[in-house]
Amino acid sequence: MSKMLPDGFEALEYFVERWAVDGTANRDRRRGDSTENERVAFFEAAKGLIPQALELLDRKPLDEFNEREQRLMNMVLSFAHVAMAVEMLGDAEPRHARFREVMRITRSPADA
Amino acid sequence: MNVETPVFTTPDEQVAWLGTDPIPAKAYYDPEWFELERQAIFMRSWIEVGHACELPEPGTWIRRELEFADASILIVRGKDDRIRAFYNACTHRGTQLVEEESGKGANFLCPYHFWNFGDDGRLVAAPDFKRFAPLTKEECSIPKVAVDTCAGLIFVNLDPEPKHTLREYLGEYADRLETLPVAKATTFHEYVYEIDANWKITYDNFQENYHLRHVHGLTGVATVHQQNQYGYPDKYTFNGPHRTQQIWVNPEPLIKPMQGYNLGLVANDCAQQGIMGSPDSRTYFALFPSLFIIGTPMQHFSHKVYPISATKSRGVFRIYWVDDDDSATRRYAREYALCSLRDIHTEDVNIINRAQKGLLSGAIKKIHFMTMEGLCRHLYQQVVARVEDYLEEREAAGETA
Ligand code: FES
Ligand SMILES: [Fe+2]
Repeated sequence: MSKMLPDGFEALEYFVERWAVDGTANRDRRRGDSTENERVAFFEAAKGLIPQALELLDRKPLDEFNEREQRLMNMVLSFAHVAMAVEMLGDAEPRHARFREVMRITRSPADA
Repeated sequence: MNVETPVFTTPDEQVAWLGTDPIPAKAYYDPEWFELERQAIFMRSWIEVGHACELPEPGTWIRRELEFADASILIVRGKDDRIRAFYNACTHRGTQLVEEESGKGANFLCPYHFWNFGDDGRLVAAPDFKRFAPLTKEECSIPKVAVDTCAGLIFVNLDPEPKHTLREYLGEYADRLETLPVAKATTFHEYVYEIDANWKITYDNFQENYHLRHVHGLTGVATVHQQNQYGYPDKYTFNGPHRTQQIWVNPEPLIKPMQGYNLGLVANDCAQQGIMGSPDSRTYFALFPSLFIIGTPMQHFSHKVYPISATKSRGVFRIYWVDDDDSATRRYAREYALCSLRDIHTEDVNIINRAQKGLLSGAIKKIHFMTMEGLCRHLYQQVVARVEDYLEEREAAGETA
């Protein structure tokens, strides 16, 4: 299988399909329609790799990423959402997700 | 307990002057009272509607809907770089000029009969205009709306002749607002909600900390401490109809590992930008009638509550940032800041719905504010004062209330 992410992030390949999501509101939606198992698995696999991923991505301007780097960027951004769910909310996340639907994200610098 | 932990004192005496009277619950759902508030307050106060960074160059414009006035307003940066505002309505037969939320262009062309307006609202061209004689183009300018900015924030006033300039209206808080990062902001996150709740019920939720530990037990755990179990502010100030609280700094906040890492990235970035530690970096401004802006550079949000009816409101949150995303780290740190603030605010919106529902039957005649809900009491008193002034004015003008 061809690699979807830059070298050094093999441990996250499995999560690309689910979590390499473009757009802040889409990432929020993905958080909302994921299962707890999916979130926890991604959180545990990714948390130790975030500093490394940012270090790699910081070497290039944001608009010069190749496809693999862009996927990694989108996954890191999804991690921000998942970290709130797993680390802060835990069991309360499913109930919280319903409330969140009324709070529509209408603008994000990451979408520019 | 750490001996260096300062002992927190609740600032009860700073709000003692507001009294302790129960508050009539009707003011929070009655349509007749709402109509008075609408006339006395919203139709003639400075209302925040956006930020100058949305008008980055001459010719750019934004459209804003103000439901409380059934008004659509165009805010335009003209060729001369000045910001002007006028109604989104053609002076021929009233048609709305634009449907887009924002755009760029020196002219506004009405789609109905092609009257064409300049960036200052003046009629510049109209097909076969001679048949309107004796009407002149000069008489066909679109009605202006008073507009001004403070700290980059754009305010409009629907009073055709505002009694105060924006500066006078904001009083001594105006200069302090100018020192906040929002004055230099170039971009922002935005999230919005509509809620079946009165604008004051909605707004009040965000100016008391009594609910923090109950409503934000998981997301807001860093705000409570044995010294200050409710995360109360350590200071209040009042200035005309406006008010502030000073956010208490928890000396030993409970922070989760990734939360600490992520917020650390935001803090580093803000420190490098030199926007940390301004005198008002802990001040939470509550600007009458319904705007909040918090000084904290790392979570620099504004929140505007727009009334729609006695029991319906719309809220707009923005997190303002200085400089665009220029690195993966900044983009990630800011996305996390969005997630963490929005999660907290989501919990608020949920409870506000219930706060309104319980009042609708009319069985609850009075509500109660404790000292640490003093800012809610201040808002109510300021609202009443303005409604009373308005009724007096009307009476003096010979109109019946
Ligand atoms: S209504 Fe606008 S041109 Fe006729
Ligand atoms: Fe809250």
